Amino acid sequence: MTPLATIKTISFIALRQLWERKLLNGIAVGGVTLGVLVLIAMNGIMLGFSDKFTSAILKISPHVILFDTELRPVSPLLERYMQTPVAAQIAHESPTDRQVRIKRPYEIVNALRQVPEVEAAAPSLAGMVLLEFGGKTKSVDLRGIEVAAQDLVTPIHQYVKSGRLRDLDTSHDSIALGAGIAQDLGLKVGDSVRAAAPGGKPLDLLVVAIFEAEVPPIDKTRGYTTLRTAQTLLGRPDAIGRIEIRLWDPADAIRVNDSLERMFGYDGESWKETNANFLAIFAMQDMIVGFVVGAILLVGGFGILAIQIMIVLQKQRDIAILRSVGLRRSDILRIFLMQGVIISLVGGLLGDGLGKVAIYYLGQLPVKAEGLVKTDTFLVKEDPAFYVYGIGFALLVGVIASLIPAYRGSRVEPVEVLRGQIG
Amino acid sequence: MDRSDDVLVETRNLTRALGDGAAQQTILHDISLSFDRGQFVALTGASGSGKSTLLYLLGALDRQSGGEVWIEGVEMGALDDDDRAAFRNERLGFVFQFHFLLPEFSALENVIIPMMRRGNWSRSEAEDRGYEALRMLDLHELYFRKPGQLSGGQQQRVSIARAVANEPSLILADEPTGNLDSKNAEGVFQVFANLASEGRCTVVMVTHDADFARRANRQVRLKDGRVIEDSTQHGPTSVGRA
Repeated sequence: MTPLATIKTISFIALRQLWERKLLNGIAVGGVTLGVLVLIAMNGIMLGFSDKFTSAILKISPHVILFDTELRPVSPLLERYMQTPVAAQIAHESPTDRQVRIKRPYEIVNALRQVPEVEAAAPSLAGMVLLEFGGKTKSVDLRGIEVAAQDLVTPIHQYVKSGRLRDLDTSHDSIALGAGIAQDLGLKVGDSVRAAAPGGKPLDLLVVAIFEAEVPPIDKTRGYTTLRTAQTLLGRPDAIGRIEIRLWDPADAIRVNDSLERMFGYDGESWKETNANFLAIFAMQDMIVGFVVGAILLVGGFGILAIQIMIVLQKQRDIAILRSVGLRRSDILRIFLMQGVIISLVGGLLGDGLGKVAIYYLGQLPVKAEGLVKTDTFLVKEDPAFYVYGIGFALLVGVIASLIPAYRGSRVEPVEVLRGQIG
Repeated sequence: MDRSDDVLVETRNLTRALGDGAAQQTILHDISLSFDRGQFVALTGASGSGKSTLLYLLGALDRQSGGEVWIEGVEMGALDDDDRAAFRNERLGFVFQFHFLLPEFSALENVIIPMMRRGNWSRSEAEDRGYEALRMLDLHELYFRKPGQLSGGQQQRVSIARAVANEPSLILADEPTGNLDSKNAEGVFQVFANLASEGRCTVVMVTHDADFARRANRQVRLKDGRVIEDSTQHGPTSVGRA
């Protein structure tokens, strides 16, 4: 008995028996198809949302920011002297006027550019300023930047709707504003706007560019000036408050941030930490989707289980025939397992196909939303991995579900069946 | 106990009991028989006499509680489950009362499944052999039909074709004529008689039909799990040794 003959015989029997019970096996296939379809559609929706959100975050935000807070622990003098822990705390330290800043920022920027994971780094200064135009005021999250360097970290120029970002460098005391601010204050490129911040010197700024990143939280609050303008406006001459960094791979952000903190001694923050709240929501959504899809596939698996158990019970006589003409227990086991695999494979392939169609049509659904992100249609995104998972989970479920019926079938004793028939 | 070359099947003190302890019930007591190559043996006896059980033991379908079953020099009790399946596949042919055929497969496919499993022949060779077996039973024109499209007698002949196509040394038939009208029953009986007389195989047939039992080479009658009569009607026989 060659293995090939075994496989040929088994598949001949398995396929024919499946085909002759199209309705029952079709129902089993349908259960699997539904599970895989939901798996693909749900994952497409979840990935669509999280991907849109992540790309919105990464559009115009740096992957890692180094702030001006030094991390080196400063232990009390007394403790350093006595070399044992000392309870020395001042009840209320009065804050000093000495402003914190990153020391020797350009050396750090140059060093950062040598780090292999870093694509670009740019020094900047951030602060809140009030803008006044035509009797209306609005507070703006102002960033003083080195235009060319910053544009490599966060490509602002891509989102400029009118004016030119480069004009920040050429026209003295100028500002680029988010479209939301410009709209609120009624500003256009070429207008002059009054800007002021506590502790600094008020300036009249020329609006040279208006940008719209389609990320409402940024478009409604962000303004850019040159570093020097910001330093004057905020009253912090020569200060660099942050270094923004772009990585080759944003997924590395947490790891790179940790090593940069150790390297330079300044507090850093990766985009994942900045947006931890949202990312946690996505992680939770993924879990919920996992439960739902798992439950549906489980139901599909029970479908296969129920139908195959029924078939095994009905087919006792046929199993007895096959055993009496020389098929082994393992052959019977493999016939039913093969049927489970075929059911789940067909179900998986159908589910993949329908899933692709579902993703296409979901992506056409019109949905107007302007919150964290701005969109006109339902957000879906497909990933080839969905289809691999679809087939993979279907097969897993199919094999596990047909194990019990297959085992039962293989334990049928031909003599008992024959005795029962003949009496 | 010497065995001559033409002894095909031999049982020695074969015992079969069901259940344990007080509920134990002995179905076969110390059966010692031997059948020659080419012999046509009728096994008779009332219901519950143990004749079917003896047949299943001869067919390596059941396991004995004691004693030995030798077929062509192999002791069935010494074989594991897979080896018994392989032995059935290569050396034995079964015919049951209820013309056990697989309903999803055509007559020809039913006949060739054991050959496919054996793997000695290509699919087309197996189909040629299966077709020849059906021709011998005058069913070759209906080879494509499924069991549901065949009469009871035709189905029984298909199951005989399945049993003989693999060229077994021993054919075991459990009341093969039990559900057939007299014309079909006679046809089936003749097929077995011919197979045996041509020396192609030994046939052991359980039957309730006294006429058929008389016309076989040899009649073994069982009662309550013991041989009560072992008679040779005609032709060369070897007498069972008790």
